[in-house]
Amino acid sequence: MKLNIEGLLVYFPYDYIYPEQYSYMLELKRTLDAKGHGVLEMPSGTGKTISLLSLIIAYQRAFPLEVTKLIYCSRTVPEIEKVIEELRKLMEFYSKETGESNNFLALALSSRKNLCIHPEILHANIVVYSYHYLLDPKIADLVSKELAKKSVVVFDEAHNIDNVCIDSMSVNITRRTLDRCQNNVDTLQNTIHKIKETDAAKLREEYRRLVEGLKEANVARETDIYLANPVLPDEILQEAVPGTIRTAEHFVGFLRRFLEYLKSRLRVQHVVQESAPQFLKDIFDKVCIDRKPLRFCAERLQSLLRTLEIADIADFSAVTLISNFATLVSTYSQGFTIIIEPFEDRTPTIANPVLHFSCMDPSIAIKPVFQRFQSVIITSGTLSPLDIYPRILDFRPVTMASFTMTLARTCLCPLIVGRGNDQVALSSKFETREDFAVIRNYGNLLLEMSAIVPDGIVAFFTSYVYMENIVASWYEQGILENIQRNKLIFIETQDAAETSMALEKYQEACENGRGAILLSVARGKVSEGIDFVHHFGRAVIMFGVPYVYTQSRILKARLEYLRDQFQIRENDFLTFDAMRHAAQCVGRAIRGKTDYGLMIFADKRYARADKRGKLPRWIQEHINDGSLNLTVDEAVQLAKHFLRQMAQPFRQEDQLGLSLLTLEQLQSEEMLQKITQIAHQT
Amino acid sequence: MASLSEEVLLVVKKVRQRKQDGTLYLMAERIAWGPEGKDRFTVSHLYADIRCQKISPDGKAKVQLQLVLHTGESTTFHFANESSALKDREAAKELLQQLLPKFKKKANKELEEKNRMLQEDPVLFQLYKDLVVSQVISAEEFWANRLGGVNNTDPTLFNNKQEVGISGAFLADIRPQTDGCNGLRYNLTADIIESIFRTYPAVKQKYSENVPHNLTEKEFWTRFFQSHYFHRDRINTGTQDIFSECAKQDEKGLKSLVVQGVKNPLVDLLSLEDKTLDEGYGVSTTQPSTSNANRTVKESSNYAIIKRFNHHSAMVLAAGSRKGETPADQASETSSTDGNSRDSDFFQPPVKKVKLQEAIEYEDLQRENRPKTVALNLKKSDRYAHGPVPLQSQQYTTSQDIINSVNYIRHEMANYKPNLTQVVSSTAASSAIVALSPGGVLMQAGAQQAINQMVPSEVQGELKHLYVAAGELLRHFWSCFPVNTPFLEEKVIKMKSNLERFQMTKLCPFQDKIQRQYLSTNLTGHLEEMLQTAYNKFHIWQTRRMMRKT
Repeated sequence: MKLNIEGLLVYFPYDYIYPEQYSYMLELKRTLDAKGHGVLEMPSGTGKTISLLSLIIAYQRAFPLEVTKLIYCSRTVPEIEKVIEELRKLMEFYSKETGESNNFLALALSSRKNLCIHPEILHANIVVYSYHYLLDPKIADLVSKELAKKSVVVFDEAHNIDNVCIDSMSVNITRRTLDRCQNNVDTLQNTIHKIKETDAAKLREEYRRLVEGLKEANVARETDIYLANPVLPDEILQEAVPGTIRTAEHFVGFLRRFLEYLKSRLRVQHVVQESAPQFLKDIFDKVCIDRKPLRFCAERLQSLLRTLEIADIADFSAVTLISNFATLVSTYSQGFTIIIEPFEDRTPTIANPVLHFSCMDPSIAIKPVFQRFQSVIITSGTLSPLDIYPRILDFRPVTMASFTMTLARTCLCPLIVGRGNDQVALSSKFETREDFAVIRNYGNLLLEMSAIVPDGIVAFFTSYVYMENIVASWYEQGILENIQRNKLIFIETQDAAETSMALEKYQEACENGRGAILLSVARGKVSEGIDFVHHFGRAVIMFGVPYVYTQSRILKARLEYLRDQFQIRENDFLTFDAMRHAAQCVGRAIRGKTDYGLMIFADKRYARADKRGKLPRWIQEHINDGSLNLTVDEAVQLAKHFLRQMAQPFRQEDQLGLSLLTLEQLQSEEMLQKITQIAHQT
Repeated sequence: MASLSEEVLLVVKKVRQRKQDGTLYLMAERIAWGPEGKDRFTVSHLYADIRCQKISPDGKAKVQLQLVLHTGESTTFHFANESSALKDREAAKELLQQLLPKFKKKANKELEEKNRMLQEDPVLFQLYKDLVVSQVISAEEFWANRLGGVNNTDPTLFNNKQEVGISGAFLADIRPQTDGCNGLRYNLTADIIESIFRTYPAVKQKYSENVPHNLTEKEFWTRFFQSHYFHRDRINTGTQDIFSECAKQDEKGLKSLVVQGVKNPLVDLLSLEDKTLDEGYGVSTTQPSTSNANRTVKESSNYAIIKRFNHHSAMVLAAGSRKGETPADQASETSSTDGNSRDSDFFQPPVKKVKLQEAIEYEDLQRENRPKTVALNLKKSDRYAHGPVPLQSQQYTTSQDIINSVNYIRHEMANYKPNLTQVVSSTAASSAIVALSPGGVLMQAGAQQAINQMVPSEVQGELKHLYVAAGELLRHFWSCFPVNTPFLEEKVIKMKSNLERFQMTKLCPFQDKIQRQYLSTNLTGHLEEMLQTAYNKFHIWQTRRMMRKT
């Protein structure tokens, strides 16, 4: 159908539309009109991607000078491929409707094997790739730095974007890294020796260039050709590379000195935590390395590798890592912390020193993106509470909206199970974690559900260790054997290949009618990347609240930083983080309006307003007061009732006019009125 | 009658039957006895017909074996070889013991099937009553081509009956119970053993290797209950244990499965992430991976449990579908040959393509793309029932045409002048009208009122049954022609007598009955005609045969 979105003609490749899709497009258009950033939460399975694509492409066609490019970032390879398929569908619709072959060029970059840095990326109207291509400075520099300013950037599935940012800026150094780095430096030295004998002019030319400094880069940045590299600070662009590391030999010598210093730092007996300035002071005191040459380290190494015409950069990953670290640590006095741990907490007898250089501020990596591109859209099925993302990513959006899922029948059934049948409070909190009664009641819940839920059930635990212990305990108590009478059991392991196989078998068992249970882990790969549509997930059980492992020093440092810099209380952030993962887990089961599923939150803490309130609106509004603190039996009764209702035939006609609209229905005054209520502004 | 291809399983000489010496043969499908010196069997029973065998008590002078048939008849064999009578009898008994249950199932199934057919088909049931119960033909004859049809037309139904899967919890059903004196008792049934064998072929192999040569059955299962199959948390059972090899084998199987990878790219966690961070980058918030080396005992036993549950589920699943390796793979394979050429620059394996398409599909946003099945809204259902009338001879007329033709006819009628020279005389006309009226000479055939108005429904029903029965018999009769085998010859003679018997026992009483009720005897005329035709045919055939013989 063709839609009129506030005066913009939008081609939408379906015969019907969900009301929330229309609402979503309205908000999106307003964001683009304002040339600002937006945060939009809309449940998965309501056609978010196609709404985004339809509107932005229509916008691009209508205002080719205002928006020149769409950069669509998603997280996993299948998601990227899905976007491409939807795009293909849209393009086919365009050529069918307009009769002209479309001249849109879309480009997908996925996985390194087909990494394409062809100049075509500059001309493509649409680029689809993974977050890293934009957020990880090491790749963004190669792929994305020349993208036009008038682009619209979309981060889909962005609920974890802060972690991606942090990951891309953090570095870990172990003894092994340093050993490999040592080899790299030796190789560099040898190569320089050889080149000096054969082609000394090359090195002289490089030296001359370095005197000129990084002027080129500076010009480019000022004239707005490049996406800024957060690793390369503005200031150094105006300066020449310092004399101390300008010649190749000097630089190699400098690297050696830095390496020796790092080695000495790893020889510790106790945990050390310090800030970047402290580290710089120490390195100056110990080996007289100044801040300035450190800041040029990454750039200087790239130049050297280019000059030496080294083909295989991968071999030099260790020395690259060290020099990136050098530049980062000397550039940012804030937002990072250095933690040196002499051994793993679990195995204090085995020396395994690691230097963690951890980014605590996700806004550092994403800052250039917000600064450069006129519109950045952060969207996902679970972004609640919406206001926290602008705070931790440090940007000011023009629109923030959460959309509900309009439903002709209530196809999701969130239940909070807080008690066992014996009234024992259910919780995964630390104090009762080993409690036999809790584990038994959890087992009972799963057993009862396995008897009444058809096909697939997915259960998530708060951590892998917790799951292992519970599984062992259930095994000893014979609970698993009893569950096997109803369904087959598959369990996520730490091995991705093994888990993939278990997943496929799980789906097979759901497919052939036998039914299966998948035991999995929140924050794991399954919880983040695998959908359990229809019969692959008729119920999701979240055992416990998936708080992050709080004993980690890195996390503690980050929490402190958040408190000091953003005034976000530790508990607020931890709860937010736990709830977004819980929402991700339970949301895996509902992938559309024709789908249905139970969402069982098995922890009494979910009943509290501070937890419940952080769930996405589309889940929250279906939790009624009667289902806040259920016993296992009560939950089973409610679930039975729900499943029986859902088993009734559900046809398109049932949805029409309510949660599914024809063009005529959409244009009615009354409906437009209703649609304005779908978007919930914050 | 004995076809040569029959496999003879056992031959026992010197067996008496009705005081006659002879030889007993046990064959693949039947048991037979022939008198000495003659090469034909006077006694032959299909195993399927035998209900049970009985033997004489050990102390008795005569060593006998009695076969009781389903029909209630029985046959007794007397083993008369003095030196080995007992041994012979035992041998025959043993063999029968093995054979009978096999056929019993089949026999029962056949009986069931017959029962079912009779219950479901009232016409057939009536026919059965008319023909078999009244002993016009034997039950065997009656079923001869019916059941055969059932068995032959749909052999898949019998051979490929649906495989029953295995319960995931078969090991849980072996509830160990303390026997009160420091021991455990495990309940093992044949079903459970079968489940174990089907799920774990490795165990089956061990079983056939070791039982009963190295271990007794009991020892074997005792060891099984001590193995990792039963105690999933056990890590290393003793190396000399026969099941440690199984464990290794299982491990290997699991590994090869894992190495094979998954077909559905959407569940492949290995290629999920576009780019894992390079080594050394990222925040390691996850707890350090537990490599094999530094696991505690508890951890590795937990790990073993998880692994074994996955393995167990996979094996159970595989056991259920092992037989019918679905042709799904083929389908996807063939589809890869076509299509996809248009995105040569962006090649995707077809499975992936299909899965992706599925994943992005919003069925409710699209118009239902299957052909719409709108219920027919018929204004004149009789017109629909009579089907379309061929169009070619039809010309559509406009209302103006109709008005014109009406005017024309009216005009013609007004100006009608009878051509008096050509008309028939009034007497001839009236006699023709009489002849053509109901009851008239020419309307004799058509004058018959519909049978349902003439005779009471009870008689109608009876007539219907007679028709069905006669039809069935005639079918048997006519199916014998051309008579080209001795078997058919025999049958055709039998069928003729059947027909005659039918006429005598069924048709004639019916005729008497309708006569008593003063109904038209015409009712059975057609039946008689049919029978007569058959008799004529038979006579022709018979005289021809006689001529040929003389």
